[in-house]
Amino acid sequence: MATEYVKLVDVTKCDGCRACMVACKNWNDLPAEPEEFSGTVQSHKKTTADTWNVLQYIEHENGKGDLEYLFRHSSCFHCTDAACEKVCPENAISYSKFGTVVIDHDKCVGCGYCVQNCPFEVISLKEYKDKNGKEYKLSQKCTMCTDRLEEGLQPACVTTCHTNALEFGNKDEMLAKAEKRLSEIKGKFPNANIYNPKGVGGTHTIYVLTEKPSVYGLPENPKVPTSAVVWKDYAQPIGKMMIGATTMAVVGAFITNNIISKRIKGKEDGGEGHE
Amino acid sequence: MVEMNLNRRQFLKLSGAAAATLAVVELGFNEKKAYAASKELKIAKATVTPTICCFCGVGCGILVHTKNNTVVYTEGDPDNPINEGKLCSKGTTIRQLYTSEKRVLKPRYRAPGSDKWVEKDWDWMLDTIAKRAKETRDKSFVEKENGMIVNKTEAIASLGGAALDNEECYLLAKMMRGLGVTYLEHQARI
Amino acid sequence: MTNHWNDLQYTDCALIIGGNPAENHPISFRWLTKAKEKGGKIVSVDPRFTRTSAMADHYAPLRSGTDIPFIGGMIKYAIENNLIHKEYVAKYTNASFIVKESYKFEDGLFTGYDEAKRAYDKTQWAWETTEDGKPVKDETLEHPRSVFQLMKKHYSRYDVDTVTSVTGTPKEDYLKVCEMFCSTGKVGKSGTIMYAMGATQHTVGTQNVRSYAMLQLLLGNIGLPGGGINAMRGESNVQGSTDFALLFDNLPGYLGMTKAIPEHATLKAHLEKETPKSGYWSNKPKFIVSLLKAWYGPNATADNEFGYQFLPKGNKNYSHINLFNAMYKGELEGAFLFGTNPVVGGPNAGKEKEALGNLKWMVAVDLWETESSAFWQKEAGSDPAKINTEVFLLPACSSYEKEGSVSNSSRWMQYRWQAIKPVGESKADLEIMHELMTKIKALYKNESTPAAKQVNAVHWNYGEGKEIDIDLVCKEINGYDVNTGKQINGFGNLKDDGSTCSGNWIYCGFYPEEGKNLAQRRDSKDTGMSMYLNWSFAWPMNRRIIYNRAAADPSGKPWSKEKAVIWWDAAQNKWAGYDVPDFVATKKPTDPGFTDPFIMIADGVAGLYAPTLNDGPFPEHYEPYESPIPNAFSSQEINPAITLFDGDFNKRGFKVDYPIVATTYRVSEHWQSGTMTRNQEWLSELVPYMYVEMSEELAKEKGINNKDEIIVSSARGEVKAYAMVTKRFKPHTVKGKKIHQIGMPWHFGYKGIATGDTANRLTPHIGDANTMIPEYKAFLCDVRRAD
Repeated sequence: MATEYVKLVDVTKCDGCRACMVACKNWNDLPAEPEEFSGTVQSHKKTTADTWNVLQYIEHENGKGDLEYLFRHSSCFHCTDAACEKVCPENAISYSKFGTVVIDHDKCVGCGYCVQNCPFEVISLKEYKDKNGKEYKLSQKCTMCTDRLEEGLQPACVTTCHTNALEFGNKDEMLAKAEKRLSEIKGKFPNANIYNPKGVGGTHTIYVLTEKPSVYGLPENPKVPTSAVVWKDYAQPIGKMMIGATTMAVVGAFITNNIISKRIKGKEDGGEGHE
Repeated sequence: MVEMNLNRRQFLKLSGAAAATLAVVELGFNEKKAYAASKELKIAKATVTPTICCFCGVGCGILVHTKNNTVVYTEGDPDNPINEGKLCSKGTTIRQLYTSEKRVLKPRYRAPGSDKWVEKDWDWMLDTIAKRAKETRDKSFVEKENGMIVNKTEAIASLGGAALDNEECYLLAKMMRGLGVTYLEHQARI
Repeated sequence: MTNHWNDLQYTDCALIIGGNPAENHPISFRWLTKAKEKGGKIVSVDPRFTRTSAMADHYAPLRSGTDIPFIGGMIKYAIENNLIHKEYVAKYTNASFIVKESYKFEDGLFTGYDEAKRAYDKTQWAWETTEDGKPVKDETLEHPRSVFQLMKKHYSRYDVDTVTSVTGTPKEDYLKVCEMFCSTGKVGKSGTIMYAMGATQHTVGTQNVRSYAMLQLLLGNIGLPGGGINAMRGESNVQGSTDFALLFDNLPGYLGMTKAIPEHATLKAHLEKETPKSGYWSNKPKFIVSLLKAWYGPNATADNEFGYQFLPKGNKNYSHINLFNAMYKGELEGAFLFGTNPVVGGPNAGKEKEALGNLKWMVAVDLWETESSAFWQKEAGSDPAKINTEVFLLPACSSYEKEGSVSNSSRWMQYRWQAIKPVGESKADLEIMHELMTKIKALYKNESTPAAKQVNAVHWNYGEGKEIDIDLVCKEINGYDVNTGKQINGFGNLKDDGSTCSGNWIYCGFYPEEGKNLAQRRDSKDTGMSMYLNWSFAWPMNRRIIYNRAAADPSGKPWSKEKAVIWWDAAQNKWAGYDVPDFVATKKPTDPGFTDPFIMIADGVAGLYAPTLNDGPFPEHYEPYESPIPNAFSSQEINPAITLFDGDFNKRGFKVDYPIVATTYRVSEHWQSGTMTRNQEWLSELVPYMYVEMSEELAKEKGINNKDEIIVSSARGEVKAYAMVTKRFKPHTVKGKKIHQIGMPWHFGYKGIATGDTANRLTPHIGDANTMIPEYKAFLCDVRRAD
């Protein structure tokens, strides 16, 4: 792999303008999809197949009883150990030389395992129709504008960000920057942390957060689901030898669905829905 | 003609200069192949024109990328010192001002009492408006008031202009005062 | 803005009051973020905890309509704690001027009030003058009738307890604002005040802004980098459209409009009446005659007063509110709407919509079908059969489908080039105006009535054929020698003998020679202190900080090294520095009149005391037109100098029916009446619905849950919206009582992709005493669940 690159999201600098959301749609020609009124300023509950990044707005009362209005640019984490990549039966998901995780739509069959296994819920399926009216599905997510990276341009969201809350660059440099920023804000935000979870081998979207990850709705310790590991590292190589890829999808479905159903259950207990 | 400093990435790209220079500006690398190889970058071979955002009073610079008679992308103008290539959500989307299906494409006329628009041609519209303006003006014109020359009409109002160009504002003021209009107002008041 | 966007990075403290730049002028935060990185602080004062508040170091709430108590208390704090910049105050403001004995202030009224007229006799507020007419001064500032002492006395009533009991600001939050911002009074520090319509849209709007300016003068913050009084303008060219006088009371370049008064009967009389004896405005005749030459060309001669009599002379206040009152009464026959949408944006918008139905004809020039051009439709709640207005909708093209310049808040005149041909049959407004005026002129060509003479006199010569040559318009705006055709290189060279023309003197200099339109400059090199002198053109004369003389002491030395802008360079015998000096660069600081930095003011110094305003020389607190509490400062409840409108058009609400304070505002994703953004998918998706923000406490009292549909009612009407229950609104504690406030965006209407009820159906037709800007920002309402 060539040099790894990282998008650093410093939430303390974000003023919630949402240029990142529109720049993404503008660059990637994604359609609008207004959702129901959410009761907050937030436009979308989470990322979708046509909305690859969402600005989260959180009203949080901190330990001192002061109101904090928190903003987080949320999109694909581009994990180093990406569950989506592991579970894809068609090898449609791969790592680019920049460290970004990309979906090859020529290979994607729309099975949805990547969607089900993403620990951050940032991949989505969408149904399309071809010119003959035949329906097909593709999974979609933030590409980190890998097409732009190829040309030496930064991701569209980063290019437009006016407070430099989003920065993009060499991984080591971004990590050093994150550490420095953390030390600057610790006084004001004692719970501040760098979110670069080890359970997925670290990520290529790294955050400087002012509060615990859970305040932002992020898993504290996200992991690559065991099923994904089983799939990629054991079942798939064997399966590929024995049977065709389509059949493999069935095997894959069996393994992942078991795990997913557990996850859904956990969520329901927590009082949250799951799509 | 546009006189620009072609010293930033977009322009270098256009002029076909080495992509290596782009790399220096934004990322520090330039390794072409793989992912994007299958499709051409959407702004490649587009014409780039600098403009200023049409929304708030900050005056950010925007680059409009046009190709095949449409606008394919709009982004911040890195040369403009006010925004240095950065934009807010409104500035980023000015592409859709052109592409929106809601744009009015032909003059529309609504007759008194009618419940619908009728499309008309420009000449008919402007001729009719000129006639109406003249009728109202002639009828309401006050040349003198208490012995003083006042040359005015208080029966025609002109509203708006905060989004017009300076040259347009100038002509609008000149035209309206030239017609004797006293009710000349715009958004700065509200 | 006295300063400019890039300059914000040099501030030590930004007091943001009456504005929400993080949401409405987001790119300002690029520079405020830089200021923070350098140790600068941000203070946000707002009824609601906004995204600006979230980015601020300190937030203090205040009830809508209480800026004057808030700032008045800060003035008292700064004076009493010795935080003011004394030398600056003594030398650069009128603090030392002695006011006549006739001036008095008692129980909310200044002397000279006529209750029947609701107006003051301002002569009673005049200066004591010397024999040659100059103001008497006392630079020790000790004289009891010096402006300084009168001001001190006036604001002695604005003690912290009274102030905070009126504004509803927690005392410790208030004191922290005082401490943080008043620290910029120290030499070597500078603070900026940033405001927008939250300041101006009040019956005391002008005085709100004046109170900010006074505080800035006391702290010595005007003229300095990172300082100033900075109005964040809401539209891309509202600066330009104001400069070019699309307002009833102005001619381009802030030359007052001609009026039907004996003093304006002739050009000579007009110039005598309107030209001050001192200050830069003493050059006014040159600007007026040059404007007349630009408008009437060869038809403006010395013999016909340069066409002066062709200018219309009005006899009343023709501002927006009065305009719609007149329209409602059927006094108007025709109207042109150039990219404006009063059915959404106007106060008491429901009635303004009805008023449009009394027009005989209406022309709307717009990119979209707006709520205003479609006011006659069923969707608008109208009965088309009953509306006899003939409506012409002319499709305009967008800003990058044509070319021309716009002036931002910083007064930078930046050129926009045409990126693509206009979509469909749409056209540039410039072309539309040109064709229309050409047609009107053709209709009058062979007539000689007074009405025809006026039109025929207009010099309209912008190229051969149908198409207009914008370059000719630009050249005329700048001005040229009418005999040689040579461009004028600056307004200093304009003449009052008819030998020069200039369509707008303050812009003179942007096109100094053939082929050199400086608005088109794109050299982005920082020429020092982020002035970018070779990028575009800033009026006046490419000056980036207005009144920059005040950044140096009377001897011409910068007050401090950190905040240097210009200074007297004795070796070169001229002023040097980063910016274009605000006066003749070779005039020594010791030359008479050149210690005075405020060259546009007749006295050469800034006005802590302003005897020209309609509602008093000092800002005084009055409650909004609709208020939930009595005025704590006097028995005058509302501004005594505002014009009251009665009748059906403008019903007034009282707290018994409408106990909740309401305000309107904008969001990042929509713009003004929403036509430009609600017709775009990506922006509509981000804010698709009309909503009303309210506190958890109010929601509980009213039995409203988040996301419920609710009805907001005022004396003017009702709107339906979603409830957004938020921690960012908290009830104000005012005089020990809980006062609720709600807020809502005013962008919505029934046209476009994102639709919703129009907030302005709730707002009153009542205006500021000086500007007639409507009081959108503080009115009374009630809320209930929709079901």
